[in-house]
Amino acid sequence: MTHTPHMPLVAVPEPETTQIYDGETSWQKPWPRISPLLYKAPFFSFGPFLFAVCIALIVGIGSAYLSLNRGSPFNALESGVWVAHPYAGTIDSDPYSTAIFARTGRVPLGSGEGIAFYAAFDDSGRALDPQCHYRISGRVPSTRLWTITALNNALELLATDAGRASLHSHGMLMDHTGAFSIEVAPEARPGNWLPTGGNSGLVFAMRLYDIPYTTGAGLSAPVMPAVELVSCK
Amino acid sequence: MNNLLKKLQDFYISPRWILWGIGGLLVAGIIHVSIILSVPAYVPDSPYDRVGGFGADRIFQVLPPILPRSEPLPDLDPSMRHAICRYSLENGPLIINTYAPTPFWSLGLFNENGQVTYSLNDKTSEGEAVRMLVLTPQQLSILRENPPDDLEEMIVVETDELKGFALFRAFAPSNAYLPQISQALRSATCSDLPQI
Repeated sequence: MTHTPHMPLVAVPEPETTQIYDGETSWQKPWPRISPLLYKAPFFSFGPFLFAVCIALIVGIGSAYLSLNRGSPFNALESGVWVAHPYAGTIDSDPYSTAIFARTGRVPLGSGEGIAFYAAFDDSGRALDPQCHYRISGRVPSTRLWTITALNNALELLATDAGRASLHSHGMLMDHTGAFSIEVAPEARPGNWLPTGGNSGLVFAMRLYDIPYTTGAGLSAPVMPAVELVSCK
Repeated sequence: MNNLLKKLQDFYISPRWILWGIGGLLVAGIIHVSIILSVPAYVPDSPYDRVGGFGADRIFQVLPPILPRSEPLPDLDPSMRHAICRYSLENGPLIINTYAPTPFWSLGLFNENGQVTYSLNDKTSEGEAVRMLVLTPQQLSILRENPPDDLEEMIVVETDELKGFALFRAFAPSNAYLPQISQALRSATCSDLPQI
């Protein structure tokens, strides 16, 4: 195998070597400088080929798997911790949403029906824990009806001791401005109590039905309530 | 510092490995895209097949209430009661009649892959019953030659998707509403065009 000269990664100026060639007195010409690119090297070799195949398989399959287990990065409406994909599950959805919805078989809300926001983190960025006490406070855009549901990480309804894991706006205590505060905890709390339970994660789904934005033009994320951690056992 | 530079200078990766690595990343991108695009085709049971398990086609089948560990379909709202009707337009046009005496109800049409093609809520119909005619463009042009009398009062949905299902959601504010809601879900119809 031909010898390949090692190309340094960092260029350091070589020390000045002044070579004076004087045809009259020197008995030999200095060796000509040849670019290392001109040295011959085989194109195919097994080691780098195996390396390329491994990278292709690991990175390609791994990134596809990861992106299918997260939300689609395209056309997302974000408002604080709440994320919605208004086009997901419709015929206009992007390929990631199409794959995610096909894989889970979820039944989406149509644009004429409403929009579903999901929150998997609290305001400080920690993943939600069904054994902790959270407070969801603020207000939602004016709609005729909205519901909030506690789901686990697989977006299945939480099994709780209270026998329910959802609240809706028709049975909610609000002040005269429409602001509300929901206490999310496994044990009963005064006020609007959203029961939780289990230990397989917690995701809030807030479905806003007949929201004016879906019938109007343009996408702008509405102001959504804050999710703050109160205490953790 | 000089020492570090010297070490870096001695550290060497052959350009052959770097180029093959870049090539591997390009192939990884192709694999990623092809997996994402082929996932919907490889799902074992499509939403259309799963909906067929609830009962006969062209009848609104009332779904059981959404309870933990026994959800009939994923990601439905537990505050709602649902009825679902699977259809295939190869058997002719479809007329959907829905009404529910609740503060909110809605109707969505889905294609074979479970994607929403058309949706409306009770405000669209101004609180009255919805009469919706679902048919293909060819069937509509045949129907126009001999239109039924109430064609103007119906919502006409032209679609190229031959197979699909309709999902009727009715909001149940409290248990007191349940008898009238289940009555409304049972009386919703999803049937053929009456023969003239």
